[in-house]
Amino acid sequence: MRFLRITSLFALLALGASFAKADVAEGEQLFNANCTACHALNEKVVGPALKGVNEKYDEAWLIKWIKNSQALVKSGDAKAVKAYNENNQAVMTSFENLSDAQVKSILEYIKTPPVAQAAAAPVGGTATSTGTEVAATAQDAFYNNTTFIALSIMALILFVIVFVLYRIKQTVQGIYNSKFPEQAALEAEPVVDVKTTWKYKLFTKHPVVGTIIVILGFTVVLGIYGFNYGQTEVGVQQGYAPAQPINYSHELHAGKYKINCLYCHNGADKGKQATIPSASTCMNCHMHVTASAKYDGQVSPEIAKIYDAVGWDSEKKAYDPTKQQKPIKWVRIHNLPDLAYFNHAQHVKAGKVECQSCHGAVETMKVVYQQSSLQMGWCINCHREAKVDVDNNDYYEKLHEDLKAQGKSYATVSNIGGLECGKCHY
Amino acid sequence: MENKNKYWKGLEELNNDPKFLQNKRNEFAEGIPLEDVLTDKDGEMTSNRRDFLKYFGFGISAVALAACNKAPVKNVIPYIVKPENITPGIPNWYASTNPTTGVSVLVKTREGRPVKIEGNPESPLFKGGVNAVDHASVLELYDNERLQGPKAEGNEVDWNTLDGKITKGLAAAKGIRIVSGAVNSPSTKKAIAEFTAKYPQTKHIVYEPVSYNAIIEANGQSFGKAVIPGYQFDKAKTIVSFGADFLGTWISPVEFTKQWVKNRKVGTTNNGAKTMSRHYQFESNLSLTGSNADVRVPLKPSATSVALISLYNKVASLAGAAKLSSPGDVEFAVNMIENSAKELWANRGASIVVCGSNNISDQLIVNAINSVLGNIGTTVDLDNYSNQTGGNDAAFETFVSELNSGAADAVIFFNSNPAYNYYAADKLITGIKKATVSISTNSVADETTALCKFHAPDNHFLESWGDVETRVGFIGLMQPTISPVFNTRQASESFLRWSGNFTDYYTFVKNNWTAALGGEAGWNKALHDGFTTSMKTPVAYNTSILPQDAVNAAYQTYTSNKDKVELSLYTKVGLGDGRYANNPWLQEMPDPISKVCWDNYAAIGKVTADKLNLKDGDVITIKTKTGVIEKIPVLVQPGQARDTISIALGYGRTAGGRVGANVGKNAYTAVSFNGKTYSYTSADVKVEKTGDGYELPQTQTHHTIEGRDIIREASLGEFVKDPKAGNHKHAHIITLWDEHDSKGHRWAMAVDLNSCTGCGSCVVSCNAENNVPVVGRQEILNSREMHWMRIDRYYSFKDEKGKKLTRESGLAGNMLKGSEEGLINGDTDFENVRVVFQPLMCQHCGHAPCETVCPVLATVHSSEGLNHMAYNRCVGTRYCANNCPYKVRRFNWFKYRENDQFDFYMNNDLGRMVINPDVTVRSRGVMEKCSFCIQRIQAGKLQAKLENRKVKDGDVKTACQQSCPADAIIFGDVNDKNSEIAKLFNNERSYVLLEEYNVQPSVSYMTKIRNVDEELAGGHTEHSTTAPGHTGHEEAKHDTAAHANAENAH
Repeated sequence: MRFLRITSLFALLALGASFAKADVAEGEQLFNANCTACHALNEKVVGPALKGVNEKYDEAWLIKWIKNSQALVKSGDAKAVKAYNENNQAVMTSFENLSDAQVKSILEYIKTPPVAQAAAAPVGGTATSTGTEVAATAQDAFYNNTTFIALSIMALILFVIVFVLYRIKQTVQGIYNSKFPEQAALEAEPVVDVKTTWKYKLFTKHPVVGTIIVILGFTVVLGIYGFNYGQTEVGVQQGYAPAQPINYSHELHAGKYKINCLYCHNGADKGKQATIPSASTCMNCHMHVTASAKYDGQVSPEIAKIYDAVGWDSEKKAYDPTKQQKPIKWVRIHNLPDLAYFNHAQHVKAGKVECQSCHGAVETMKVVYQQSSLQMGWCINCHREAKVDVDNNDYYEKLHEDLKAQGKSYATVSNIGGLECGKCHY
Repeated sequence: MENKNKYWKGLEELNNDPKFLQNKRNEFAEGIPLEDVLTDKDGEMTSNRRDFLKYFGFGISAVALAACNKAPVKNVIPYIVKPENITPGIPNWYASTNPTTGVSVLVKTREGRPVKIEGNPESPLFKGGVNAVDHASVLELYDNERLQGPKAEGNEVDWNTLDGKITKGLAAAKGIRIVSGAVNSPSTKKAIAEFTAKYPQTKHIVYEPVSYNAIIEANGQSFGKAVIPGYQFDKAKTIVSFGADFLGTWISPVEFTKQWVKNRKVGTTNNGAKTMSRHYQFESNLSLTGSNADVRVPLKPSATSVALISLYNKVASLAGAAKLSSPGDVEFAVNMIENSAKELWANRGASIVVCGSNNISDQLIVNAINSVLGNIGTTVDLDNYSNQTGGNDAAFETFVSELNSGAADAVIFFNSNPAYNYYAADKLITGIKKATVSISTNSVADETTALCKFHAPDNHFLESWGDVETRVGFIGLMQPTISPVFNTRQASESFLRWSGNFTDYYTFVKNNWTAALGGEAGWNKALHDGFTTSMKTPVAYNTSILPQDAVNAAYQTYTSNKDKVELSLYTKVGLGDGRYANNPWLQEMPDPISKVCWDNYAAIGKVTADKLNLKDGDVITIKTKTGVIEKIPVLVQPGQARDTISIALGYGRTAGGRVGANVGKNAYTAVSFNGKTYSYTSADVKVEKTGDGYELPQTQTHHTIEGRDIIREASLGEFVKDPKAGNHKHAHIITLWDEHDSKGHRWAMAVDLNSCTGCGSCVVSCNAENNVPVVGRQEILNSREMHWMRIDRYYSFKDEKGKKLTRESGLAGNMLKGSEEGLINGDTDFENVRVVFQPLMCQHCGHAPCETVCPVLATVHSSEGLNHMAYNRCVGTRYCANNCPYKVRRFNWFKYRENDQFDFYMNNDLGRMVINPDVTVRSRGVMEKCSFCIQRIQAGKLQAKLENRKVKDGDVKTACQQSCPADAIIFGDVNDKNSEIAKLFNNERSYVLLEEYNVQPSVSYMTKIRNVDEELAGGHTEHSTTAPGHTGHEEAKHDTAAHANAENAH
């Protein structure tokens, strides 16, 4: 009996621990999706750094604050008013859609960020990169100047030997010819009748045929070259990294501040287009973030471009209705031809594909470039390999059952018709 | 057993017309237009060696240069402040109402521009149906010939200047007249009332070119309610119509089609009920309604009144009511009138008589019949009456004389174009020129607007706020789906401005409704739903008024015109009264009956044509007592009543846009005024042959389907005995191919031939959804129409002995001729014709013949049962079209966009706004065809995935299905056993076309059932008695024999 009790206690503890773990994981997800636009753990972004917030305020108060800070401020709560004034009276977005449990898990995450993992990642990263560097150096060493010179000298010696041997053979042949002229005449190659050579037949006797064959040959060679060129070069803009009207850095926003991709590109999980954010989205943060510390108290010239576009008066911290709004003309980097239909939601939400799989590590790019070729072969390759997540979507219920019946554990996109023309071309 | 009825696409086929035969021998009507491509139309290139070298050299260097070019820089410009509800790539839907037809619609907008109109399934009146006109209305929004701003005396001005000038002029005017079409908006009526209060010298005249004045007047006299009633065809077991084309053009065709079709669906809906209404149609021209009737009786216009009197007397004697004393019975169609009278009486209270005549005494008799039958209050609803149309003919006549006399010196034309559609246009034009203030609010520079001093162009309804009281108690609301494209202003707002009310129109409309709808929330809900309804239960009315004084005149008209040729004017499903003439989608939509596009014509029956020595394409001039219709081509039309000529109104526009101008001939000149109402028929007309010839662009005979068993039909009696009547399959199926394995979805479609009325709504819906280009008159003549779906119309005739008729000679005739067939000769009666409509789109065959012949694999099969078409793979060999047994593939002979040769909507930036961004715009040289709206399938699947659920039946609706007013098209996944489509595929009436080819189409058709007493399916009973064993073996043998016969015939 006691044994049972103890076991159940342990079981409960284990369960509790796993719950707590789930909390943190969920909290991290929610934090990244909702908070990173304005907050970081250790650093002030738009809002204050959040580390230690749990100690500073009690949980019930924090839940109220996160759900609707303005209501709290208006209710005259002293702590709330203080926090509001401390942060230049910047209004924090209300998150009334979050449940108490969700807010708690975010707080849980802030309290105990998965430090170990966070710490481990960079270490691992360094280790790998060091390894690559070592290999690279070794390779460089192999191809250094000494090897080249040694090899050149050896080649020269070999050439000299070949030349000397050739000369010896020539001399011996000359002596043999002068000593045994009859024998030499017999052994000499018979004079070939010019008229039987293929060259004669083609170019002298039938010049037209010859010309055609030569032209055909050229055509085939050039054609293959042209085809290859057309296939790999025309309309393919891999590596395209145009200058943008605003020198916006994904490395800073997505990399350093870890703003979720979907915060700005909020169509990616909803519809066809991922969408370029409207300037008002930038203003959510840049109403307050002016980077003036780096520009002697002036607004950063890049951020000033946003202000110019939306008609914001940075002095008065208000929209100036007299200023004309000017849309920002971004340069489009990823251009799919009109004949191909691509839907972001299908890939991001239904297919659960990471943005980086196609766009590359955007969070490391100061200037975004086109990472993938966007050619059909590239699409097809992925469709051949990508597995459909049949377990977690009721849409695939029947497919899942069929697979189980066949004893298979997965289906690729191509197995369910993902290579058919009409899936993308209509 | 093979269906014993023989069908022809038209008289050309029946008569073995030489041109038809020649076309048929070619198998493909479309020749290779090398001459067109290489000569004047596409650059000079008349096979000259040096030119060839020049082009060749240029081509090479152009390719080389093009290859060196990097792709152009493309910009992407986001919103500055993104509207909350718009996510690029995701359509938004708004509920609205088309004020012209009163139909509740849903408007699909993409990135803030409307691209598609669909039916609002929640609307209690229209239940998701819309017609071709509603579909096409979105294109009018993007007409670049709309007036772009206000004008005063020819100069562009701003609205304030215009208002200043107008108010000054109006204040000084002696008599102001507002001439408008029927006004169905309570708010507009209120605005006009405010205007009238400000200018008491104002009179509002309702003028409809196709007037319903007689119905209004007759109801006023009979029941004291001068209105157009609401009709309930769904409650009628017997329907008798005298020339009222209620499924096509009469009052509210979408509403009526929904109602009518409810009692036409046998064995599918209503728990498989096997009852049907019976529909009699008496008419002179073969209308859409007539072609769908169970019994159709050709009737001269001059005989309508006597037929009505005769029907009334028969009903009255059954009811024991007072009769009209008449000189005698009419000797034509006595049986039919007798039968319909009996059935009407048997179903009294659940029957309906309607009449399309604009003659008051005719309508009085109709009222009397319905009253005797007790139909008023059940099928005829005078309480929830219709506001969709109207007309006050006498008032307009007075207006014209007042204008000329100077009694009216200021006139406002609102949604009205009498300078085109008034029969005495010259008189009116002189009058308008005399007016000191003439204002037009029309949105295009049409015939009337061109004469007016002030232009105050109205918004398109998709740019407007408003309310539409389609029927009393049913208010449709209108909300803008785009900000005005041009500097236009809603006409109702203009009336408010001119009467000194500066409320903006949105507030005005909202204020009118908020209280009635229970506050802000009620208003928002109504706006969201698109309508609000508070219809009453109709009350019964009775009348004892009989137009006794009209009887003798009616008989006089009938007897004196017996052998004389008469003219009747009608409107077409597409163009209506002419207001849609500038809409290329509607111009290119083939007429449901004649399959003529881009023209009107004089429809004449075979016998009358022979009598007048006319044949197809002859150009004639028709003189009535009051007017002349000059140089109109002849079309010999089966079903046309003897000694009648029918001409469609709405053509021959001279202004109002490049598309509609000079298409066809204006027939309004033949309208006359009988002292009370306008008359659209003329007795005793003179026909003169001009000697010219003219070819009508018809899509009718382009795609021959020889004499194959593709239409199956049975009578209701046969169907009740045997649900498979007329549908006993005989094909001997063998196959070379492996079966396809469709484990996931298998998309399929069922088309109910019994429901399809042939109205063409689906065709225009498909145009809009799939960016199908408009090709124009000349290309239709060249048989190069691009419609992805067509509605084939087949005629069948029988002789007096009930034998089906076959042609007397010719290749096809021999092939078709069986033992029990009568022969066509000079006396054959082409008036009694039966019509079947068969919508045909790509059948998405399982073993598709097109796929096996494509050398580049541009058309391939999908795991979901679809036949995909990859345009960018297609090299244009056209093998697939040649191998398609259904002839549903279309080849792009030209680039139809940005091409001056096809100066319709795809040739200008504004017009291209209507293009569906989810569907490729095809280029020259590729094949295209129906895709089963694959973009909608993909969207439906994606939505299910995003919502973590399975696809539900009804999630995916094709464009043709969504808005079919008759619900004739059902689409879905047959692998979903509970879906409607899976059930229909197992229905006894279901069959596939050309089953013997075993191409396994994904489209199934449902046998046509007619509520007639004779046998239509025939044959099978006899077959089964001779072969009690009835084994598959025998069937196979039988089929082989049939094959052998066919071989011999070849």
